[in-house]
Amino acid sequence: MGDYEASKINHDNHLLLDQPLLRLPYELLRKNFRSAHFVIEKDSTQVKATLKEAATASLSGKSSPDDVLKNLDVMLNKMRGLKRKLSACADEEERLYRQLDARTAHLAELNDIHTVDDVRYQPWSRKRLDRLMVDYMLRHGYSDSAEAMSEQKGMQDLVDIETFKSMNRIRKALENGSVAEALAWCQENKKELRKMDSDLEFNLRYQQFIELIRTQDTPRKLEAIAHAKKYLLPYRDTHPDEVSTICGLLAYPPIYNFDSGTGRPNPSKAGIFPLQLGPNYDNNGSLYPLLTVCPPRYTNIYSQTRWQELADSFVAAHNELLSLPSSPLLHIALNAGLSALKTPACHSNVQHSTAAGYNTGNKNTTVCPICSMELNELAKAVPYAHHSKSHVEHDLYVLPNDRVYGKARLLEYAKKNGLPDSLVKDLVTGDVFPWDELKKVFIT
Amino acid sequence: MDTLRREIHSLNKAPKLRSTVQDVDKIIEELEAARAQVAATLDTHTASLTMAKLQNPLNRHFEVMTQDLKNVSKVHKNLGKTLDKAMPVKPLPTDHDVMAEHMDLINRAIAMHLLREGEFSVAETFQNETQDDVTLADVTATQPSTGPDGTEDQIMSEPDGGGPDLMEMSYQSEPVAKRQQSQASHIPPPELKDRFADMYRILESIRHHDLGPAIEWAREHSEELEARGSNFEFDLTKLQYVWLFRGPEVNGLPSDRPNGRLGAYLYGKENFPRFQARHLHEIQQLASAMVFAPNLPDSPYSSLFAVDQSFSEIAASFTREFCSLLGLSAESPLYIATTAGALALPRAIKYASAALAKGTAWTTTDELAFETPLPSNMIYHSIFVCPVSKEQTNEANPPVMIPCGHVLGRETLKKLCKGNRFKCPYCPQDGLFKDARRIVL
Ligand SMILES: [Zn+2]
Ligand SMILES: [Zn+2]
Repeated sequence: MGDYEASKINHDNHLLLDQPLLRLPYELLRKNFRSAHFVIEKDSTQVKATLKEAATASLSGKSSPDDVLKNLDVMLNKMRGLKRKLSACADEEERLYRQLDARTAHLAELNDIHTVDDVRYQPWSRKRLDRLMVDYMLRHGYSDSAEAMSEQKGMQDLVDIETFKSMNRIRKALENGSVAEALAWCQENKKELRKMDSDLEFNLRYQQFIELIRTQDTPRKLEAIAHAKKYLLPYRDTHPDEVSTICGLLAYPPIYNFDSGTGRPNPSKAGIFPLQLGPNYDNNGSLYPLLTVCPPRYTNIYSQTRWQELADSFVAAHNELLSLPSSPLLHIALNAGLSALKTPACHSNVQHSTAAGYNTGNKNTTVCPICSMELNELAKAVPYAHHSKSHVEHDLYVLPNDRVYGKARLLEYAKKNGLPDSLVKDLVTGDVFPWDELKKVFIT
Repeated sequence: MDTLRREIHSLNKAPKLRSTVQDVDKIIEELEAARAQVAATLDTHTASLTMAKLQNPLNRHFEVMTQDLKNVSKVHKNLGKTLDKAMPVKPLPTDHDVMAEHMDLINRAIAMHLLREGEFSVAETFQNETQDDVTLADVTATQPSTGPDGTEDQIMSEPDGGGPDLMEMSYQSEPVAKRQQSQASHIPPPELKDRFADMYRILESIRHHDLGPAIEWAREHSEELEARGSNFEFDLTKLQYVWLFRGPEVNGLPSDRPNGRLGAYLYGKENFPRFQARHLHEIQQLASAMVFAPNLPDSPYSSLFAVDQSFSEIAASFTREFCSLLGLSAESPLYIATTAGALALPRAIKYASAALAKGTAWTTTDELAFETPLPSNMIYHSIFVCPVSKEQTNEANPPVMIPCGHVLGRETLKKLCKGNRFKCPYCPQDGLFKDARRIVL
């Protein structure tokens, strides 16, 4: 039963949860390089052009020394601006190099640890748990906790507070109905998003359109049409469904709060009477008396839950762009770990003892982590572990109450309880029985 | 990893974006010099001459800058390659994130972990932040999918060996409203913080070789400890006796109360009698050791009196007993679960990708479809796999012992039955179905 194989650390596979630890700074390094490249290209092209123009003008006598000075000042300003931006990029690069250094050092500590029983493994694995918790906190927007934790543990270089803070800023803006922040982010990452075939920008623009229509204010509706022409029509080929709803949306104003189930107006929430009357057609060509029944596709469009969907799809794009897994790492670790530890006994109505490791010298029988209050309810969500062989104590005996224990443990417990040699005590229920009522159990 | 480590270590010598900043500086210098020249004379000829002369050096600097940028790009590309080699991308299983539906329970587990680790201020920050979150979600309620509130009091009850304290810990025995009830599941029992504060206070004393607070705690919980079959109280008394016995030069205790052999004698006389029924032999040994006092290290009792390890051992067993009386495992369950997760993950990924290829989900059944071996110290309950069906027994198919003492899964036994009778597959005995006993392993 001393499963040595299971205690071995397979270095190729032990760092699966730690991939983002190096991937993220690397992706940020590339992103940072791209912005450096971009500003250099932009500003140096302009400065070079200004220089050429100014020199030509000056040489041909078209400009005065004052004009030359003015041009030089323009160039100096540009270059000083460039210096500021590049210095920020250079700082960021240094920060990321420092992070990468700290992170590989942390991962390399595992190199000469070959089994989980190594005393050095526990501190390492605890540090990993700390990282996973901070990752969890950051992804859910608990940034005060994340900061407090990383400061307390001195692990600032091992966690990504800034990245997630700015992600959460944009996410919260979307949840509060503001697209500006997300659109700016799309602008910053235009190329990469295009490579990913991301819908995000289209959906943001589409939402802007919906919000303009929602007001039912004539100038806003005109603005909506202009907006649709500029930002939505170009997506006709990739998003034919949404683009085809544009005209429909102009016809189905959200005056009634349509019931999304039946498509009928919800009378309790009825607003102003519709201005337009008359039959209308939906895309399938069937007749809908205007504003009596709204096709479900339109009621969904006015739904407030779209903001949450936008926030979620922003987060998804953000994580994909930075090679981050879509779920918090702690979820992934818990999902696998709870299952691996869970046994049928953990949620059983019958009280089971904890002692399987008893023979291997693991005499410190403690409450099982899945049975413990912290995780018991959570573990209901996962299946229990699969075992192909039994794990039981040696030399088992069944008590008259049908409970089974190893002989060594029964002897020790009886002695601890000061019982005479002829008696045993049930470790869970506390019942006392004479030894000769016990029966040997054979496990094959 | 080593190659990657070396490469990252040498990055400080590699070309960096800082070099382009220096290039910009040079361009700024040239521009400033030119400006100074033009400004000094304000003469048309000088101006055009300066501008003409500025072209070449400036363009050269721009070229250098482009080259510098290229060099940096090369460094990044190489780093990417080394990273891919050292840590090839292996997608994590995120398709069925069942944990996502149980944020409240995860938050609670984290809060409890922080408390048991003694991170009280982080725990408080976390609890405030998560509580705001819950309140917010409840108020806005735009999303019907937010938080299932079917969480019952059951969370508070402990299925395995929970002490009586647990009932005291659930602070709302009669929840006023469902809302409050669901909120209660987000936070650890309020008393937990005080309990762990106690625990750390006592541990701190033990670390300073002061057993007083631990002894006091053990005496208060004497009955519960005894019910657990724990020797903790006696172990403490024994260590205190030994500690006094070693005298002021070892224990450094003030001499205002009896110390040394006399102190130990008086302490033992007062405290050992309570344990006589259960530990008579050991008490006798400790008493006899008095005789060897001058040259204890050479006596047969030397091991009884070694204290170097004893304090850290007593600290560990104190933590274990303390947590057990709270119905909690001694080691943080969150720590064990994530460590087990890291160990089980490679198998899970392997299986999940195979299942994905077959189009089957892997989290819908009661039992995992693949084995995730864990070290034996991570196996807490007995596992019984029926030797005939190779199925793990559970509530629906419990282990049964037949009269010969062999154990089978109940389903197997049913199949073996011809009428009411069966033949044991492992020995020549046969029996009646009604004589099979359901056993609890
Ligand atoms: Zn359990
Ligand atoms: Zn048999």
